[in-house]
Amino acid sequence: MHMTDALLSPTVGTAFCALSVGAVALTSAKIKRDDLQTENVPLMAVAGAFVFAAQMINFAIPLTGSSGHIAGGALLTSLIGGGPAFLTIAAVLIIQALMFADGGIIALGCNVFNIGVLPCLIICPIVYKLILNKSFSKARLLLSSIIASTISLAFGALFVTLQTSLSGVASLPFKEFAMLMVPIHVAIGILEGIITAAVLFFVYSMRPELLNRTTTQRKPRQKRTVIISLAVIALLVASVLSPFASILPDGLEWSIEKLTGGAEIIPAAIMGGTAIQESIAAMPGYDNGAGLSAAGLIGSFAVFIIAGGTGLIISRYKSIKRKSAAE
Amino acid sequence: MREKIAKLYSIEQLSTNNTCIHLLRPGAKLLTTLVFIICVISLPKYSVYRIMPFMFYPAILIPLSETPIMLVIKRLALALPFCIMAGLSSIISVREIAYYIAGFGVSYGLLNFTAIILRALLCVSALLILIATTPFCEIAGVLHALRLPSLFVMALELTYRYISVIFGEAHNMFLSYTLRNKLKPNIELKHMGAFIGQLFLRSYNRAERVYSAMLLRGYGKPQRRDAKMNFSINSGIYAVLVSALCVIFSVIKY
Repeated sequence: MHMTDALLSPTVGTAFCALSVGAVALTSAKIKRDDLQTENVPLMAVAGAFVFAAQMINFAIPLTGSSGHIAGGALLTSLIGGGPAFLTIAAVLIIQALMFADGGIIALGCNVFNIGVLPCLIICPIVYKLILNKSFSKARLLLSSIIASTISLAFGALFVTLQTSLSGVASLPFKEFAMLMVPIHVAIGILEGIITAAVLFFVYSMRPELLNRTTTQRKPRQKRTVIISLAVIALLVASVLSPFASILPDGLEWSIEKLTGGAEIIPAAIMGGTAIQESIAAMPGYDNGAGLSAAGLIGSFAVFIIAGGTGLIISRYKSIKRKSAAE
Repeated sequence: MREKIAKLYSIEQLSTNNTCIHLLRPGAKLLTTLVFIICVISLPKYSVYRIMPFMFYPAILIPLSETPIMLVIKRLALALPFCIMAGLSSIISVREIAYYIAGFGVSYGLLNFTAIILRALLCVSALLILIATTPFCEIAGVLHALRLPSLFVMALELTYRYISVIFGEAHNMFLSYTLRNKLKPNIELKHMGAFIGQLFLRSYNRAERVYSAMLLRGYGKPQRRDAKMNFSINSGIYAVLVSALCVIFSVIKY
C-alpha cells in the first residue's frame, strides 16, 4: 500500500508532507507535555523494529491470488497508545523509504498519513475506546482488533487511490482503481486483525499492564480542548462549507411554492415590518456583498460574543448572589 | 534470518567508503536528492525526452560513489511492480496516437508508461545514492539540525538500531522452536500468536537493558557538534550546481 514518488505530483506530495509533518510536531509536543518520553522510548523503538520485521513477511490471501503484509497500526496503538504508535510508524516508513526505496521520499508524506495518521490517531483510538472502554475481554479485544485493522487498511487504500487520482500522473480511473484496491485491503485487514488479536492475547496473558494502560485508560477531556475544537469546526463550516450549501428552497419554502406558486407568503399586515427588518439588517439574505463565507464568519463571531457574553453575565450574577448569601 | 539482517545493513556499509561523494556534507546531499526528486516528479506525464537529462545524475554519481549497480537494480525491482501496474493501465486506457516511429504508432498511454518507469528508476536511484554515501546517524543529525522533534529523531535512530535486536532474538527463538519441533522448517499457525508475542516481549526486555546502558553512557545528552555538520565550500557548490541544473531542466520547455 506504499505510495511511490513516480505516481505523485509535487502539489499532492507537498500537501500531504505538510500534514504529516504537522501531525509529527503536534504528537511529539503532546507526548512531551504528558511526560511519557522516558518510559516510552525503548518500547516505541522495539515496537517499530517489530513492525518493520513483520512488514517484511507476506502472507497469502485466500481466494484472491495475491498476498499482503500487516501494517501494524492497530497492534502498535493497542500496545503503546495512539501518539507513540504514530511516531513509531513514521520512523518505520522513513527507514523503509531510505533503506529499501519502498515508497519514495516525497511520497513519505502520503505514506505517513495513510499508514500512520489515519489508523493511529483517528481510527484505532475511536474503535478501541468504543469497544474496550466499557469492559475488557478477549472477545472484545478480537472484535476491536479486526474492526480497527479492517477500517484502517480500507481507508488507507482509499486514500492511496485518491492521491494517485489527484496527482494525475497515471491515467487510472478512480472508481475502478478504488474497486480493485479497497476490497483486497479489507481482506488483508481482516487477517491482520486476527494476527493482531493473537499477539495481544499472548501479551495480555504475560504482561497485562502493557495493554491496560493504553486500551482501557480514560483520560479526562480538557474543557479548553473541547471549546477550541468546537470553535475550529464552527469556523470551518461557516467559511469553507457554507458556499456549498444547497440553493434549493428549504422544506417550508418548497411546500409554499407547491401550494401557492410563490416562495414566501407575506401577509399585508406585516409587510411594513419586513421592509424595516431589511433596512436595518446588516446582511440581508446572508450576504453583505462580501460573500457567503464572510457572512458565515461574521455571524458565527456575533453569536459567540452574544451567547458567551450572556453566559458570562449570568455566571457572574450567580457567583455574586452566592457570595452575598454566604455572608 | 542473519542473511536478511546482512541485506538490510549492506547498503549502509557502503557509506563508510571514502569517495568524493562520501566526503560531501549530509545536508547538501539530502537537499540535492530532494530537489532532484521534486524536479523529476514535476515533469509533464507524457514527456519522455525531458526526463532524459536527469539520467545523468545516477549515471555520474553511481560510478563516482562506487555504488554497486546490481544493488541498485535489485532495490529497483522492489519498487517497480506498483508502477508497472499503473503504467499498464495507462496503455490500456489511453490509446490516442502521439506520433509514428517507422510506421509504428506510439500512443500517449505508452509514453505515460515509459515516463512512469523512468521516474521510478530515477527516484529510487537518487535515494539509494543518498543512503549509500551517507551513514544513517548523519541523516539523523541533519534531522536534529532541522529542529525536528528530538523524541521523533530518537525513536527513528533507536528503531533502526533495534531492528538487529529483533532479528537476533527471532533467529534464536526460531532455532529453539525448530529443534524442539522435530526440525520442521516453518512455525505452525497455531503457535504463531505465541511466537510473535514472545518475540515482542523478549525484545522489549532486551531493548530496555540496551537503552539503560545507552543512557548511562551519555545518550540523549547534548553532544558536541560534529565537524561534518559544518558548512563546506565543496558541498555548497555541489548543492547549488546540481539543484540549479535540475530546476533548469525541469522548467525549460524544449
